[in-house]
Amino acid sequence: MKRLLTHPWLAIRVQIALGAIFVIAALPKIADPPSFAHMIYNYRLVPSSLINISSLAMPWVELLAGLALILGVWKAAARNVVAIMLAVFIIAISINLFRDNAIDCGCFNVADRGKTHEQRIFDMKVDVFRDLGMLLMVGQLWWAGKREEDATQD
Amino acid sequence: MKRNTLFQTAALIVAGIIVALVANAFASRDRKLALVGTYPNALKVPSREVAPTVPPPIQPVTVIPTTTTAPAATATTATQPTATAAITTVGLNPAAKTPAATTTTSAPTPHSPPTTAPSEDHFLPHPDKPYVEIAFADVKTLHGRNVLFLDARRTSVYEQGHIAGAKPYSVWESDIDDKVRKLFDERSDPRDQSLPIVIYCSGGDCEDSHMLAQKLWGIQFNNLYVYKDGFPDWQQHGAPAHTGANP
Repeated sequence: MKRLLTHPWLAIRVQIALGAIFVIAALPKIADPPSFAHMIYNYRLVPSSLINISSLAMPWVELLAGLALILGVWKAAARNVVAIMLAVFIIAISINLFRDNAIDCGCFNVADRGKTHEQRIFDMKVDVFRDLGMLLMVGQLWWAGKREEDATQD
Repeated sequence: MKRNTLFQTAALIVAGIIVALVANAFASRDRKLALVGTYPNALKVPSREVAPTVPPPIQPVTVIPTTTTAPAATATTATQPTATAAITTVGLNPAAKTPAATTTTSAPTPHSPPTTAPSEDHFLPHPDKPYVEIAFADVKTLHGRNVLFLDARRTSVYEQGHIAGAKPYSVWESDIDDKVRKLFDERSDPRDQSLPIVIYCSGGDCEDSHMLAQKLWGIQFNNLYVYKDGFPDWQQHGAPAHTGANP
């Protein structure tokens, strides 16, 4: 089982899939920074003065990390960036679930979709599980990378 | 974690920030963001409005409550920096005019429970509160009087349809401070600042109109009305609307 989960065949596919997800997620935010700024504002977690700079920088960091994973360049660094971002997303959505502040997560779409409170809360729970799943993918990459390193040292 | 990996992680983040700044510098007007924005209530979770089971009687005008109790005083300190920030952002001299800080008002939380005002007191200046929420009937009346209408939604949405005569004033676009400054220049006389202005966005939980009202209130406009149900309600009533970039 351990060999199967850390097999390079699986690791390369997980790496490319994760990279593609991050690239796809970054594009709508890069195309429309004001809407993404609005999404960040809705989280009510970022101070007013940092909303714009966050909404500008985050998608580009997402894009570069995603591209690095797809191209296999700076894999460990890209993995770290993706893990940090996923952790931030999970915490941010969870805090708002706890506060009953229903928001569109703005993960893949920055347009206001006019959902009801209940629909948004449901989607936020789905988003947390989806991000946890992606965090597991990062874990798999880390594990496979470590095994590869150990094999090289041997 | 290896030192090399740490360096590469930091390099990826820094590269992302640099590319973002360059892309923003060359972005078109409606895609561009000011690096530092001023958004009231950025850390304040809005209270949830629960739809009443029995429809309330028709209330033509709703007013944000004004109190002088201790919590209100706290709220005032939370409100005024926003107003001051708006003054700073648009480059106006706060000392040139009597600051709104002399009044005490409750925090203009976009969804704080409103109270009613007598309908006879319509459209009088209200310098102690940033805005008054109004419904369609009042909006229609003001529209008939050729009052200035400001659309706080994104310009792209404005172009798809807006209240006839309304001007685009998206709070999320980088030129908002220029537009606010221009409006102030056009209405620099205190009498002009007391003229009613109606601001709207998409209704529902949209707060853009409230944000814009706070910006304008921060530079002494004192007769601002927020059309609470916004453009969807206007359309539902079949009132005059235009499409395109012109009012």
